[in-house]
Amino acid sequence: MNIQEFQANLFSAALASGFTDVEMYYEKKEVFGCQIFKGEIDQYEIAEDGGISFRGIFNGKMGYAYTEKIDDASIPFLLDNAKENTLIINDEDREEIFAGSSHYEQGNFFSTALYEVTIPEKIQFIKDVERELLALDTRIVATDYCMIRTETVSRSLSNNKGLSLTDGMNYLYVIVEAIVKDGDETKTSFEFTVSKDFHNLNAKEIAKKAAEEALSQLGSKNIVSKDYPVLLRNDAAANLLATYSPNFSAENTQAGISSLKDKLGTQIANHKITIVDDPFLEDGLASRTFDSEGVATKKLTLVESGVLQSLLHNQKTAKKEQAETTGHAHKDSYKSAVKVGPSNLYIEPSDLSFEDLLATMDEGILITSLSGLHSGANTVSGDFSIAANGFYVADGKVQYPVNLMTIAGNFYQLLQHVEEIGSDLTFPLSPIGSPSVLVKSLSVTVE
Amino acid sequence: MLSQSLIEDVLTAALSTGGDFSEIFVEDRFTNNFTLQSGKIETCLSGRDFGIGIRVFKGLQSVYAYTTDHSKEGLLKAAKNAAQAISGNSIIQLAPFVHESVENIHPIHLNPQEVDKSRKASIMKNAYDSAKNYHSSISQVTVRYMDEEQNVLIANSEGKFAEDKRVRSRLAIQAVAVRDNQMETGFHGPGAHQGFEFFENLNIDHFANEAARIAVTMLDASPCPSGKFPVIIDNDFGGVIFHEACGHGLEATAVAKNNSVFANRIGEKVAPSIVTYIDDGTIQNEWGSNNIDDEGEKTRKNVLIENGILKGYLIDKFNSRRMGMESTGSGRRQSFRYAPTSRMTNTYIAPGTSTPEEIIANTEHGIYTKYMGGGQVNPSTGDYNFAVMEAYEVKNGKLGKPLKGATLIGNGPKTLQLVDMVGNNLGHGAGMCGSLSGSIPVNVGQPMIRVSEITVGGTKGE
Repeated sequence: MNIQEFQANLFSAALASGFTDVEMYYEKKEVFGCQIFKGEIDQYEIAEDGGISFRGIFNGKMGYAYTEKIDDASIPFLLDNAKENTLIINDEDREEIFAGSSHYEQGNFFSTALYEVTIPEKIQFIKDVERELLALDTRIVATDYCMIRTETVSRSLSNNKGLSLTDGMNYLYVIVEAIVKDGDETKTSFEFTVSKDFHNLNAKEIAKKAAEEALSQLGSKNIVSKDYPVLLRNDAAANLLATYSPNFSAENTQAGISSLKDKLGTQIANHKITIVDDPFLEDGLASRTFDSEGVATKKLTLVESGVLQSLLHNQKTAKKEQAETTGHAHKDSYKSAVKVGPSNLYIEPSDLSFEDLLATMDEGILITSLSGLHSGANTVSGDFSIAANGFYVADGKVQYPVNLMTIAGNFYQLLQHVEEIGSDLTFPLSPIGSPSVLVKSLSVTVE
Repeated sequence: MLSQSLIEDVLTAALSTGGDFSEIFVEDRFTNNFTLQSGKIETCLSGRDFGIGIRVFKGLQSVYAYTTDHSKEGLLKAAKNAAQAISGNSIIQLAPFVHESVENIHPIHLNPQEVDKSRKASIMKNAYDSAKNYHSSISQVTVRYMDEEQNVLIANSEGKFAEDKRVRSRLAIQAVAVRDNQMETGFHGPGAHQGFEFFENLNIDHFANEAARIAVTMLDASPCPSGKFPVIIDNDFGGVIFHEACGHGLEATAVAKNNSVFANRIGEKVAPSIVTYIDDGTIQNEWGSNNIDDEGEKTRKNVLIENGILKGYLIDKFNSRRMGMESTGSGRRQSFRYAPTSRMTNTYIAPGTSTPEEIIANTEHGIYTKYMGGGQVNPSTGDYNFAVMEAYEVKNGKLGKPLKGATLIGNGPKTLQLVDMVGNNLGHGAGMCGSLSGSIPVNVGQPMIRVSEITVGGTKGE
């Protein structure tokens, strides 16, 4: 059924049944994905996906409901559930339906050229990646993850206060896992590539990067477990920052589960650290012109030279602190409630190259990947103890790969103990990015 | 949910270009997700997920299309989109549908969709009060309530036509304890394949108090030492170690392409003879149980490792082609957005003969882990890691001081060989497992076990 028609019916039924302010959020997605195994298509995925979320104020309280079945029969389902939900909500901090910002910046997150890339072109490309990968070295074996995927997402938000917004984006990504086997030793690596510029992607380069990363880990050795200076390579540093990024949300500070509570204006990190959130970042995976409440987005500095300048706010958290929303209302999808979340958040790069950072290390560990962040990192206390892969560094040079390790420390202490920041900002298939980060010391345990 | 003639049209359209098998999965799911924080119910989300997944095989090629457009045109378009990935002439005709009556082995007494939401709210408030009042240092409690009713219809070109209803309920309690600048957390998340009766029969005080007790205990915990130690892992959710260390490596997703460390090893001794490892999707009303899997096959009890000998894998329909082995009723998916693949259900180590007291008394120096957090494994290498939520030092056969910040790392097949004691107190714990076909409910389980050596990564050096 036509979505405008559905919205008109929904709004009039909602207002007739006692809702005062109402909003509809609609998301639509087109997906294509293909996975190759030994030169053949192994998995192929094509989809049209979408759903709507209704929010409305009933007796002064906000009720929510969503549906993926868009037909007239869903309207009473949405209204009954949203209404019943307002009855059990007893939070005094009220959500509001937003009438609109005075100005919305234009964002161009959609590439027509990318949208026009055909399915056969994409399949051929990913076949090329696998062929190049397997040809590079006899120790490389066929892998499960050699896939290409494109997504096109459009979202729209309208309410009965006259707001009607829409934006959209598309992106392509390639994931390649390289598995290398040498005798009893098996090592793996994941290479992520995100781009809107399909015709400049180079299959051989992607394959080579994945292969080198896995091959370089062969022949790993044991070293003494102790505290070492640690260089977190850009992608590993970004993954760690992503794990702790919810702590920059005012929702978490207000709930008492983020230690950044009452830290505005204080030095929470080394002066070399500046953290920004940029909703207009080119090729950003979380770029957006309006947030999930319809507030216009803009670039925000969270940490400047180590000093906490701002937290991320939506209307509700801002009101609680007599502040302005920063345009960071966030919904994971139409199925979610309005929470607070970053757009493209990253540590600003310096002008020191990765090699410059490495050269400053007399002895230390280079960490190239982290795993188990979802369980080994406590976002409340800041403590982490996580599995890591990496290399032993001496005299400013990578010496050899180290057996599986854990690195342990505390995120807040780590921020204070940062010694240098690199220039190599990256976003590893994520809207959270970082350059490489050199840390004074972390506890390293080797298997 | 869809008419039989429309389903026939969709399955036929999917086969029009030479596929040798087509399947439709229709999902209509009703969910409630509520969150209570600081004593107030803050979020109430209710909704309906509805969509259709269409799958076509041709030999070892699998094509998947899904859509939320349930109109005839939308469904036929999705079927044709899938068929376009295959080239050739139609070679297969639909077999006539055989309507299966799925036996319900997980009785539901109170469908949560029919229960007043205020009753759900009071369950959450009870859990909150119980955890908050446990101790004065408890500063924050978050309670999450979840219920869902998932209706599925699965039909395929081989004549299968099965429908099932799955109802699940879960309560998750997180407590935060604070002292000075230190914050610690504790968590408990019981769940079942059951209706609202699950909450009514649940000992909420027990789970809320445990979550709070863990957080408070960890305020006094010392940093965990690093190094290699004998590790005693308690029962219930402790089974997550073998879920990661060996369960994932026994899934056909890893085995079929020979990338698992367990591939081609049926009949070999992969563990000490005290270890028997089972995946059982039929346990009545357990969180990971189903009547049928997401390919319409009856779930079953699959013995994976028996007395240390590798007996079998977890196999779905597609991988059964590559492996030349029968499906084990293990095809699962998060939703219509995912093609199903081999996954675990309720997986556990069978009970042994040692009492928990004996295991602790027999350990001179080591680490005892009472509650585990989550973990992760790389199925190609078998390397795993997981976090410990509550741990204690073991000294001279007795439990000592609490320890925090411990992470266990190692290699699954190697750790499995080092199990040297298996307790008699089997327990199961509910969790969510993420893999290729999305995030699905699974139970992990085991009695108390001891591993002679695991690498422990802690914040305190050796």
